[in-house]
Amino acid sequence: MQRQGPAPVTGSDVPPRPAAADREAEDREARERAAGERDAGERDAGGQEAAGREAAGLRIPGPEAGAARPDGEDGRTGGSTAARGRLAAALRSPDALNLVPLLVAGALWLWALPGIDFRSMDEFGLLDRFPLTFYAALAVLTCGFVITLRRAGTAPLWPATYCAAMLVALKAPPAILYDTVRYAWASKHDAIISRLLDQGTVHPGTELSGGMSAYDQWPGFFSLDAALVRAFGVDAAASFINWAPVALGLLTVPVLILVYRTFSDDWRLVWTGVWIFQLANWVGQDYLSPQGFSYLLYLTVFAVVVRHFVLPGSAGPLRDRATLDPAAAAVPPPTTTRQRAVAVLFLVPVIATINASHQLTPVMLCASLFALCLTRRYRNLGLLAVSGLIMLVWNLTMGRELFLDTLGTLREKAGDLLGNSRPGFAGDPTGPGPELVGSANILMVLALGGLAAAAVLLRRRLVRSALPLLLAAAAPLPMFAVNDYGGEMIFRVYLFGLPGAAFFAAAALVPAAGAASRAATIARRTATVALPLTLVAMLAGFLPSYYGKEGMHYAPPGETALTRRAFDRAPEGALILAATGAFADSYYRYDHYERWFFTEQEVDENLRMLKDPAGYLAGGIPAGRPAYVILTPTQGEAVIGEGYLPEGGFDRLGKALKASPLFAVVEESRYGLVLRYRPTTTG
Amino acid sequence: MAHPRLTPRVQRRAALAASGWVALAATALPGGSPARWIPVLAFVVLAPGLALLLPQPLGLRPGARLEALALAAPVSLSVATLVATTLFLAKAFSLTVFLVVLALFVSVVAALPGVPLPAATRGAVERDGARPSRTRTLRFRVPPFRKRGTGGGG
Repeated sequence: MQRQGPAPVTGSDVPPRPAAADREAEDREARERAAGERDAGERDAGGQEAAGREAAGLRIPGPEAGAARPDGEDGRTGGSTAARGRLAAALRSPDALNLVPLLVAGALWLWALPGIDFRSMDEFGLLDRFPLTFYAALAVLTCGFVITLRRAGTAPLWPATYCAAMLVALKAPPAILYDTVRYAWASKHDAIISRLLDQGTVHPGTELSGGMSAYDQWPGFFSLDAALVRAFGVDAAASFINWAPVALGLLTVPVLILVYRTFSDDWRLVWTGVWIFQLANWVGQDYLSPQGFSYLLYLTVFAVVVRHFVLPGSAGPLRDRATLDPAAAAVPPPTTTRQRAVAVLFLVPVIATINASHQLTPVMLCASLFALCLTRRYRNLGLLAVSGLIMLVWNLTMGRELFLDTLGTLREKAGDLLGNSRPGFAGDPTGPGPELVGSANILMVLALGGLAAAAVLLRRRLVRSALPLLLAAAAPLPMFAVNDYGGEMIFRVYLFGLPGAAFFAAAALVPAAGAASRAATIARRTATVALPLTLVAMLAGFLPSYYGKEGMHYAPPGETALTRRAFDRAPEGALILAATGAFADSYYRYDHYERWFFTEQEVDENLRMLKDPAGYLAGGIPAGRPAYVILTPTQGEAVIGEGYLPEGGFDRLGKALKASPLFAVVEESRYGLVLRYRPTTTG
Repeated sequence: MAHPRLTPRVQRRAALAASGWVALAATALPGGSPARWIPVLAFVVLAPGLALLLPQPLGLRPGARLEALALAAPVSLSVATLVATTLFLAKAFSLTVFLVVLALFVSVVAALPGVPLPAATRGAVERDGARPSRTRTLRFRVPPFRKRGTGGGG
């Protein structure tokens, strides 16, 4: 695959010259010559071609790269191939080489789809329910993607197609197959949207149990969804909710490309970064959620900032090819104060939407903007002040209650680094499935971190030009010192660090095309093997991380019907008990009931509870309050998956409650167990 | 003054301005039908952002088109979110009001020039203090600091 040209090409279409000044002059001259020859439209397309050509895949074009290619090497047939049969030429063309894996993968995937036995998931989630053809489809897509990288510069649409195909292949199966809302938290958001539509407004000052009033204080994203529900003319968000991961992914990738293109001219690096981002984004924050939506907007703000907020006179040598990494992009042109002010105005609605939708993302945004201010290039205190001001205004008006509450707890949580970085509340997951997921998560983080660290150490020049990306990746880390965010902080910090980490991990796998030293040649040869292997390994890590606990994310329609019946049966104001809130419809009509998810606490306390479940629960129910217990198989999966209860603990709990005179069985089937609290028997 | 010609740019602006009203009309169709949700979704997700960002001055850096496309959806969704949130806070939400406000916004903004994202225009730095360039003379001028030439788009 490798073909060393006589001279490494680092610029767009001009071979490198010994001195920067000479190069610059000739570079300009050559470009102006080229500009005169092409019309504007061609220039746009040609620009993209040239942009990647310099870095074109693992083969390096020689100095002829700027000239017209006579023999249709890139699939566009020239005069010399005219004699050949068109079909034969088409089959041999690189486009055919790119198309075939895509078609094969598509066929395998479609073949696998009906065979995904999601209704009988066990402890390994979907992992052992995906047919082999499904895995084969993903492997073929990975291979096809690596092949397209060879021509990523001249034909960037191919890697784009593969990235979109991988996104759909990975995340669409639940959307296509499931007949209920996937993921308990998504169903909670469905309930919030339904309530908003029902009431026609929000009540930020009203206290609701379980912290649910926070959703009235940050209603932006739910308002949008409620509007979409009405606009589509459907009953509830449930009808489109499972497509959110695919939709958010498709919207995020172009923004991510913008960010990466700002720091690299090498399309291979850009696409590999996007690919790694997709595989490393296993934390499951991409469902229909304010954080998933705000994350897209956060990346949008970041993209606009790094592209349009460069201060004049700050780039220094970072526009000099001689000092830049061959894959690095020169710093974007600087902008005047007035231009940046216009850009701030353009960003205000986006920043306001982030603040109206989510609590944590504005903090992360301010942290990232602050980190960018540490560079001379992006010292935009005005933008930071505007972002901080919008956040403050929202927190002191709409979000006042929760904001003041959180400030109150800061004193006890601040500084507790270990406590704040702990995932969830409970102990270690139990059972082989959740344990596999836990190991896969750790390996994914280590692999990504290791690769990114290697690039940071080995490609110093790239780090210099892409420093803002590195700073933004590190910016969320201090959040550990502040708050645990309900056991979620570690995942959020990972998520916000991901764009930078994925970029540098890609930089470790895609060595610069330009350098001609022996070490660079060895690095390129190593990469031809390491890149596909790593991508396959990351795919292998993604699947257990994302689908390994799927048993707790899918509830059959019978189970959701049982849950809704149980809620509907309970009188207004009743206390609803469940082992955990991680089951579909756990927040159904949430403003009418209070909920107690009794295993969501320290494991020691749960072990005490298991000794006498009925007595323990009865002790926590306020006198005179009607109370119902709902136990469903999804909860059984969740308490094991999250490590709340030891193996077998959930079954013991159900049996003990059934046997107790304190609780009467209201309904029991394979979809779950509903009990009513009978306080009169306690005497 | 000459009659406005139906250039592709004018057609695009007209299509954008019309898209909101088409989406509004589509809501008369039965709920959940693709003929209803597809135009509505396309309008809400793309139209406000495209109306804000387009048309851009001629002679943009390569990659500016990608930028307009990539930013269109997040910006559109932001505008839609702010409109919906305001309506819910004011207890004034109805589907018709929501879509009419958005359609009006898009109709007005589509008639205006695109927001000038400075670094997307060629020769951004030469224009220090000057109006955003719309002249064709800048089309082929390459800023002296710029090394990438046609390979820009960063």
